[in-house]
Amino acid sequence: MAQAAEANSSEQEKPATAGPPGVLRDRFIIRSNQPLPDMSTPNAEAFVAEDKRDAKRPLFALICRPDLPPRVNVMRAIKGMQSPGQMQLVDWGPMNWAPAGRQCMTVVYERPVGKRLMTNLRSECQRIDEYVITQKVVEPLVSAIRELTNRGITHRSIRATNLFYMDESGGRIALGDCVTVPPAFDQPLVFETIEAGMANNVARGSGTYSDDLYALGVTLVFLLMGRNPVAHMDDDTLLKMKIQQGSYGTLVGDERLPLAFVELLRGLLCDDPDQRWDIEALDLWLAGRRLSPLQPRHEKRAARGFPFNGKEYFNCRELAAAMARSWDAAIPPVVEGKLELWLRRAVEDKERAQAVSDMVRVVLNGGGERRAATDQMLCKVLMLLDPTAPIRYKGFNAMPDGVGTALAAVMAQKGDTRLVVEVMMREVPRLWFEARKYYLPDNSLMEGNFRELKNYLTQTGMGFGLERCLYEMNDALPCQSPLVGEEYITELKELLPALNASAAKRTDSKQLPVDRHVAAFMGARARSDIDRNLTQLSDPDASRSFMALLNLFAVFQYRLGPEQLPALAGWVGALAAPAVAAFHSRDKRKELEKELAKTVRRGSVVELYNLLENTGERDKDENDFAWAQAQYQAADDEIKRVLNNDEDREKEALRIGKQTAAVTGILIALITTTIVVILKVW
Amino acid sequence: MAAKKKPAAPAAAAGKKSSGMNKIVVLMILAALVPFSLPTVILLFFTMLPTMAAWASEKGSNKYAWLCVGGLNFSGVIKFLFDLWFGVHTLDESFNLLSEASVLLWAYGASGIGWILYMSLPPMVSSWLSFTTDRRIASLKAAQKRLIDDWGDEVSKKNVS
Repeated sequence: MAQAAEANSSEQEKPATAGPPGVLRDRFIIRSNQPLPDMSTPNAEAFVAEDKRDAKRPLFALICRPDLPPRVNVMRAIKGMQSPGQMQLVDWGPMNWAPAGRQCMTVVYERPVGKRLMTNLRSECQRIDEYVITQKVVEPLVSAIRELTNRGITHRSIRATNLFYMDESGGRIALGDCVTVPPAFDQPLVFETIEAGMANNVARGSGTYSDDLYALGVTLVFLLMGRNPVAHMDDDTLLKMKIQQGSYGTLVGDERLPLAFVELLRGLLCDDPDQRWDIEALDLWLAGRRLSPLQPRHEKRAARGFPFNGKEYFNCRELAAAMARSWDAAIPPVVEGKLELWLRRAVEDKERAQAVSDMVRVVLNGGGERRAATDQMLCKVLMLLDPTAPIRYKGFNAMPDGVGTALAAVMAQKGDTRLVVEVMMREVPRLWFEARKYYLPDNSLMEGNFRELKNYLTQTGMGFGLERCLYEMNDALPCQSPLVGEEYITELKELLPALNASAAKRTDSKQLPVDRHVAAFMGARARSDIDRNLTQLSDPDASRSFMALLNLFAVFQYRLGPEQLPALAGWVGALAAPAVAAFHSRDKRKELEKELAKTVRRGSVVELYNLLENTGERDKDENDFAWAQAQYQAADDEIKRVLNNDEDREKEALRIGKQTAAVTGILIALITTTIVVILKVW
Repeated sequence: MAAKKKPAAPAAAAGKKSSGMNKIVVLMILAALVPFSLPTVILLFFTMLPTMAAWASEKGSNKYAWLCVGGLNFSGVIKFLFDLWFGVHTLDESFNLLSEASVLLWAYGASGIGWILYMSLPPMVSSWLSFTTDRRIASLKAAQKRLIDDWGDEVSKKNVS
């Protein structure tokens, strides 16, 4: 998976690509020959943007990477939002981007007049005085977080390197982009909570506003110190230090900070999400009410270390993180009971020791697939050792709400999806939800969703499988099908026009206008349940699968438009042979073929469907065909009977011949007698 | 089954018995008539010998030869029978007629024609039946071809349902 590149490099210094300008929504011109490296993010290049309606308005555009799912829902939510602490998102949408040779998601922002506060994590930034930082940074950023929270979204890109001076005087500071990559994808570990930091950066999930407040706390530490206090630490060391000493202790350490900010930072950098300050506490602090600083609570230290992979670990959380990193090496000490013993004697946590013992016993005594059971057991043991950590399974570390983006990234990068599939098939998220201390409605909802996803995974037909999970978990992900070409299709209503556009370009005339991605996209985006139709798409009977597809397209055209899709109608019409062939009557077929050509010219898939799916005609055809079959069979039987009865026919002929001769003889006798009588009488 | 079949045997025996009785009654009536029409009987006996031969020679249930031969045989005899009846109905006259070659020629010639008719009709009927059967098959095959033209080859497949 991609790793955030920010820690060791500047925000963006990629070579400029030139080409014709892009035009977004016929309004914004994006100058591909005028890159803005200073405004770029680690994974989105910035270019000068112009508003046709207001040429003087300072704007810039960020071009999203096609292989990473952008946060379209957040784009929708914050478009036009005016908050002093957030750079205004002016517009967004897919746009033809010549340098990439395809459509790319583009986000247009208000362009800051000033510079970025901190260009990279190793550089120093201007230290902001304690007397102005509240007004210049805390208030606007809290206001922005509050605004986002009210809209039900999180920023997840709050960091010192994503802050900009919005005016020349440096009086206004605002947060930069938060939508071009998955949540927290660009966040260096230092700005993430311990739990989120343990997850793969693509799978951190949207999180909660509490994660944003933690990032705000780290950002304030940077700005108050004018530098990165942990620049010398690598990620593993940083995580270890955060676990051992707490985030505040790691970041602030012995630095002397203004007393008022100690309280604020202890509140924001609290590692227990339940105790971490929320917006209300911040408001109180801003209003001048001083609270007693939170005292850090460290993980319980064991009496002796647990030797693992050549190191000794003194607390459960750290050990769990190490075991998650070395999955295969972690299994033997757990199965051999060493972990249980350590928990019982060194940590003196009998409950956890007993739970581990029970889990191991289940694996040792259980039948079935031993390897799968062992993996699940270790997964549960890790959750037991560190319940707040993300889902950790064989190197795949993800927050439950980050599994979707992880899957999207892996699939876009044509990576190996087996691990994600395994996580869902083995119901690993369920284990994670079961390990929660408190009930959360969101968790129940997500657990239900994962159950449904597993159900989709077990179905292998078109419209189901991993592709369906991909679109179900990423409701703003564009359709990845090669059938829609480079079009950026995020909504169902855009699908048919895109297929209509690509119809002219297709090279294989027998190619159906549907594939696994298109079918899964339809299934996930349709508001009604179309699973029955999707199941029929994989029907071995070509006519049934074709009619199922036609039905779907017809319904979508009827509901979502447009009224005319001539190229798509032509495409579908050219493939209608199986549906026409489903009628037995040759006359009916000829009639349909004539009508089909006329309907295709009108460009209506709905009419095509109505033409081919005429139940009355179909029933009549079936009945007539059954009658014709019976007729044919009767004729066949009759022919066989006649041909097989040669001997009987000979006997019959002999009998009839003899009878005829007898009758003839009698008749001749009668006639002769009559003639003789008449002659005698006369 | 056996119980049902048991009463059938006495019934068949009774049928045979009554048929035998009928034959005896008819023979007795004919025997009674003999003294009154002996010339006729003599004439018929000798001229109708081919018919009796046909009746005696044919085996099986379908004994039609004596009817065909008899009909023609009788046609050959009837004129001479009328001559006997409307002429001198005596035993001498009857023997005179029998001694005429033309009488026997007519009687036996006609019965010969009867035999020819009897022998030739079954093959003719057989040919006719064969002809009509061929026409029937051709007509059925034509109907099948029309069905295939209208419904395709699949119409010839058996409808399993």
